[in-house]
Amino acid sequence: MTDYIVSIDKKKHTLKILSNKRVQLNGNKHEVELSQLSKYAYLLKIDNTIHHVTSEKLSNQNYSFTINGSHYNTTVRTNLEEKANEYLQNKAKESGTEIIKSPMPGLIVKILKQVGDNVEVGDPLILLEAMKMENEIRASASGIVKSVSAKENSSVEKGQALLEIS
Amino acid sequence: MIKKILIANRGEIAVRIAKACKEMGITSVAVYSDADKSSLHVRVVDEAYHIGSSVAAESYLDGDKIITLAKIISADAIHPGYGFLSENSNFIKKCEEANIIFIGPSSKSVEMMGNKTTARTIMKKNNVPIVPGTTEGIKSYEDAEKISKEVGLPIMLKAASGGGGKGMRRIDKIEDLKAAISSAQNEARKAFGDDTIYIEKFVENPKHIEVQILADKHGNYIHLFERDCSIQRRHQKVVEEAPAPTLTKELRAQVTTAALNAAKACNYYNAGTIEFLYDQNENFYFLEMNTRLQVEHPVTEAITGIDLVKEQIKIAQGDVLNVQQDDLNIMGHSIECRVYAEDVDSNFAPSTGKILHHRLPSGPGIRVDRGIDILSEISVYYDPMLSKVIAHGQDREEAIARMNRALEEYQIAGVTTNIHSFQWILNHPDFADGTFDNNFLDREFLPLLPGEWKNELDDKYENVATILSALLKDRDSKTKPFKRECKPENRWGKENYEPS
Repeated sequence: MTDYIVSIDKKKHTLKILSNKRVQLNGNKHEVELSQLSKYAYLLKIDNTIHHVTSEKLSNQNYSFTINGSHYNTTVRTNLEEKANEYLQNKAKESGTEIIKSPMPGLIVKILKQVGDNVEVGDPLILLEAMKMENEIRASASGIVKSVSAKENSSVEKGQALLEIS
Repeated sequence: MIKKILIANRGEIAVRIAKACKEMGITSVAVYSDADKSSLHVRVVDEAYHIGSSVAAESYLDGDKIITLAKIISADAIHPGYGFLSENSNFIKKCEEANIIFIGPSSKSVEMMGNKTTARTIMKKNNVPIVPGTTEGIKSYEDAEKISKEVGLPIMLKAASGGGGKGMRRIDKIEDLKAAISSAQNEARKAFGDDTIYIEKFVENPKHIEVQILADKHGNYIHLFERDCSIQRRHQKVVEEAPAPTLTKELRAQVTTAALNAAKACNYYNAGTIEFLYDQNENFYFLEMNTRLQVEHPVTEAITGIDLVKEQIKIAQGDVLNVQQDDLNIMGHSIECRVYAEDVDSNFAPSTGKILHHRLPSGPGIRVDRGIDILSEISVYYDPMLSKVIAHGQDREEAIARMNRALEEYQIAGVTTNIHSFQWILNHPDFADGTFDNNFLDREFLPLLPGEWKNELDDKYENVATILSALLKDRDSKTKPFKRECKPENRWGKENYEPS
């Protein structure tokens, strides 16, 4: 029997796989049957309802699904992985640095905060131009800007580190 | 007769135009940039030509290159779609000189409507109501102060050659006027090479109502009723519908008459749209005229049965309009949702990538105009609009129900889309009763970012996402205790249902 912890937004669900066709979700038992139509499309039968789902595997723990027009990003961990993750997060909190990464490829138009500036969660940090639109990259943590690796008028790749808050 | 059309555009509108060409027996030609090699518009035409790099200035905006190509391949007409070269009067002039039919208005009409102060002057002369303010640029500060006090604060400063919010300022206090004028002038000079600034009264929470017209080269003008495009975020239209849900017959007559006057005032031919602001006291004010096909033209096609692209082509080749005003009736109601590759919860950041999978909605009253296909690349170079879903019903309720159903059916994998967020819009009470205005999304939706808007929706599928996450991870794990077969030939109900 394997237990999984599934996080969607800030909610956590516990899922036990009881057998090939039975699962237990937050304590309730369901009959399930899965059928894969193509690399990205599945049919999932839960009890007597069939759901059409498109799925993308983002990593070993992260999936993105669309079900009847509703979009979900999920994180799924085994019990052990969940505990390891909690431990790592607590450690990060102690050292307390947050690295802001570029959410998309684009051009740095303006850097709004400098090293030493105080920032609150949600404060705009950097203006990034992509697809002819200016996008604000906002702070995901409060603190003091520790370093800025982005340069104005230079292009960046998705996932590139731009700024560090501590 | 036009025999071959070069489509100087990309994405869904290029595909839309190619479909009209096919139906009319006209050879369609696509042009494409490096980034668009795998785009749908290249796949659906009769001929396709690579014209340059991914940067629009070196491909879709390079008018000379496009005209030269049209001559080499003996295209007799160019359809500009919307955006890019569609409202560029210099380009139209060059087409006129090269003896290539531009499927649109004359360069003169575009020039008249391109400059805002000129357009305001013409409209005022021709009984089209304009927002109170000046029809000329500000000459001196004293002048500006006097006019601001006359029309009453708040006012807007706008650039005569403007667009896209540049050179625009809202003034609430007269003390701010002086500094705002000089900063608006600076911005306008940099953006448009023209620092003419004029004054308009600020219209509080208006609706965006626009009228579709058709006019031929023989002086015949008809209107195809109005659209309500007030569902916008930061001046970007998201949902459009026809007819406008709250408009009475009398107001409809008033606004469509004003629109026809506006088109006549600039000797217009082609399909065109006259945009109005509609304020809380039932006043219409001319905003601008778009001298081209609009993104939202399908809702008008749905309620009138007229194919606007075919009409554009027929008008361009000199045909007389064969539709009379009295032939037209509003048939039911239609709504369009623009599907963008964007992550709503990351402040609408565009999402790039490859379309890995898609399944189109279908069934009664549903149309999808799309620019994407399997393995299309969504790049940073162009507008992130993937497709438009258009629903048509006997009445507004049916159109909304069909739209909700279609968006549930629509599957796109590979990029993040805004499809989920339409559930919030379509089910909001202000949308249901039609009382929304241009600031509705900015006021009601933006404060719910990131993610909180989802809390206002029924969440029927979180359990499905949860179960599937675990099943997929379990399938891929090396230590799984259960063998999980999930081949397509899986069939439900190996155990038949038997009443117990």
